[in-house]
Amino acid sequence: MNFALTSFRKDLSRWRQDLMQTAIWFAIPLTVGGLITMLMSGDGAQPHGVLLIADQDESFLSVLIAGAYSAGDIGELISVEKTTVEEGTERVNAGEASGLLIIPAGFGDAFLDAEPVTLTLKTNPAQTILPGIITDVTEIVLDAGFYAHQLFGEEINTIQSLVDESNDAAVAAIAVAIQNKIEVVAPQLFPPVINVEIVGPPATDVQVSLALLYLPGIIMMAVMFSSNGLASDFWVERDHGTLRRLVYSPGQLGSFVIGKALAAAVVIAIIGGLTLVLGFLYHGVSWAKFPSSLVWVALSGVALFSWFAALQMLFSNQNTASVISSMLLFPLLMAGGSFFPLAVLPGWIAAIGRLSPNGFVVDKLTSEITEVGAWIIDVNSWLIVAAAAASGLSICAWRLRSGFAQA
Amino acid sequence: MLKVDELTKNYGDLVAVDQISFEAGKGTVFGLLGPNGAGKSTAINCISGLLRPTSGHASVAGHDVVSDGKAARQNLGVVPQELALYEDLPAIENLRYWGKAYGLRGAELDSRVSEVLDTIGLVDRAKDLPKEFSGGMKRRLNFGCGIVHKPPVILLDEPTVGVDPQSRARLFDMVEAARDAGACVLYTTHYMEEAERLCDSLAIIDNGKLIAKGTVNELRAKLSARDVLQLNGTFPLDETRQAVDTLIERDDLDLEVITQEEECVTLTLSRASQHLPDIFAVISNAGGVVTETILRSPNLETLFLLLTGKELRE
Ligand SMILES: Nc1ncnc2c1ncn2[C@@H]1O[C@H](COP(=O)(O)OP(=O)(O)O)[C@@H](O)[C@H]1O
Ligand SMILES: [Mg+2]
Repeated sequence: MNFALTSFRKDLSRWRQDLMQTAIWFAIPLTVGGLITMLMSGDGAQPHGVLLIADQDESFLSVLIAGAYSAGDIGELISVEKTTVEEGTERVNAGEASGLLIIPAGFGDAFLDAEPVTLTLKTNPAQTILPGIITDVTEIVLDAGFYAHQLFGEEINTIQSLVDESNDAAVAAIAVAIQNKIEVVAPQLFPPVINVEIVGPPATDVQVSLALLYLPGIIMMAVMFSSNGLASDFWVERDHGTLRRLVYSPGQLGSFVIGKALAAAVVIAIIGGLTLVLGFLYHGVSWAKFPSSLVWVALSGVALFSWFAALQMLFSNQNTASVISSMLLFPLLMAGGSFFPLAVLPGWIAAIGRLSPNGFVVDKLTSEITEVGAWIIDVNSWLIVAAAAASGLSICAWRLRSGFAQA
Repeated sequence: MLKVDELTKNYGDLVAVDQISFEAGKGTVFGLLGPNGAGKSTAINCISGLLRPTSGHASVAGHDVVSDGKAARQNLGVVPQELALYEDLPAIENLRYWGKAYGLRGAELDSRVSEVLDTIGLVDRAKDLPKEFSGGMKRRLNFGCGIVHKPPVILLDEPTVGVDPQSRARLFDMVEAARDAGACVLYTTHYMEEAERLCDSLAIIDNGKLIAKGTVNELRAKLSARDVLQLNGTFPLDETRQAVDTLIERDDLDLEVITQEEECVTLTLSRASQHLPDIFAVISNAGGVVTETILRSPNLETLFLLLTGKELRE
């Protein structure tokens, strides 16, 4: 064990000189992450969902609210369908729609009289992003409605009479136009009269946005690059002949491997940690989740490192080894949610993705970051990753003993 | 200290080391002399535990390298043919790391490391990275890493290949110092002069087989002070054989044939220079044409030629 620490210090000291390499492992995911975040705020490829509206009121205002969902950018994300409460509930439960908004009878009148009124929004528990967006939009629409009432109560009454006969699109256009005006005066806040009651997945302490769902995948991208890169150090040591020298020395191959894995854990924790810090800052994730996320990332990184190393050590030359393991890297990143969050992939693809080693890690990290509380990853998952690390490292030690060190 | 018994290593059909046996004691340098591909590195790798012998045994300080490998390795210092260094770790850290790999700790480690730095002449460069070193300096550090734990048995595999004369002289000094300190050194080389200068006794190997063994003087005696005469040119096979046979029968010549081919005839005889005119006459009568004559006095290189019919440096 003493020699494991010696080897650990040796590798850290060697790797410290290769800051450039480390910077690249960090920079690639950072760039990709930055691009994705930019795309998210522009018109990137986005998921599409169905919002069911059970309008029991049928007033001008309820039509206005329904129309708001089909206007502008939001309209590209969500299509609105009218339905009844019963049918809508069934369809949401069957997973056919992202959400059901129930506008109760008397809503319009209550709104115009500035009386409290409750809208019910049921969201699909199986989906993560679209319900979040629908919730956001609903809140904006209702805020807008509130301010509209404060500022333009009279006008709204007039508009109502004017547009009674017109189609939804025209109403929506007006609604959006009003909303845009409202945003200018939004800073003067009043307590909203209309409440949205959200029925569905438990409230999270993090606002789950699409960009946030990319974060775990991006972090894993950094971890995958660095673990794959660090894994080739066994080949580097073989080429330098130091592995042979190790085999000449009295039996400490296991400690040697453990030392290298510990050094890899430190490098991965630094790279993963920096990515986490940036992501947490950008998305405002609670820092209570940071230690658990970091430990999860570092441990998973070591598991990936050990298996990349074991794989590379099965080949007879370094070129083949690095080509094969890099060839594996991209499909894994793709399947494991680094390019598309698992939550937006179609169900069966996401299911396969979660079976990939990195997809498994990303999935758990997503839960850790987006759900309520910290340290919520289950014990079994920790054990799986620890077992993966241990078995990968055993294979590495076995390969050292069984002739890998020979030139 | 070091005992090798019928050691054999096969690579598939190739027998790289073929039933080699030898023994080397404390405070001696034992040489393994042979051309490239003779099996020297393979033999060293079997002793060091890097390769598993196909059959036969080797033991270091009484510990079998296979059945008692850990103890054998603890008593062994290996200086591999290829450099084996952390080029991105300061020289002193290389020494410390390998010292720790052999279980050295604390004050003992510190004192051994500074001793070795002194021996290999790198005290001034201890904190520098080997990747900035010259070839000779790297070789010296490579040597240092192998002996930092003060092993009773040291294996040196062609340590002077590609080394400048100055570093080579320094290396010889280091080997002799280790020997004087009581180590048993196994030294492989394909340079006859090195073997003659350093080794107390040696084994000559070719194609994996041990072809001669003994002290340098014993081996010289095998030549019975005969010179080696090599004639290059064209020599009709049958006529030349008959002509050479007449030479062998002459009582005033103790002549033997090493090789006889169409382009080259190699003979061994005493005081060859005195008999050159006679030999030329006989050969040319038989239709041979000599274009080049090489006359060598007895040494290990001619012994090798005598035993194998081959040049050592092929
Ligand atoms: N790993 C190997 N696989 C197959 N053949 C090998 C291997 N290593 C060495 N050889 C062969 O074994 C013979 C002895 O090689 P080696 O021990 O390196 O010779 P030396 O060190 O005396 O130059 C050579 O014919 C070489 O080609
Ligand atoms: Mg060799």
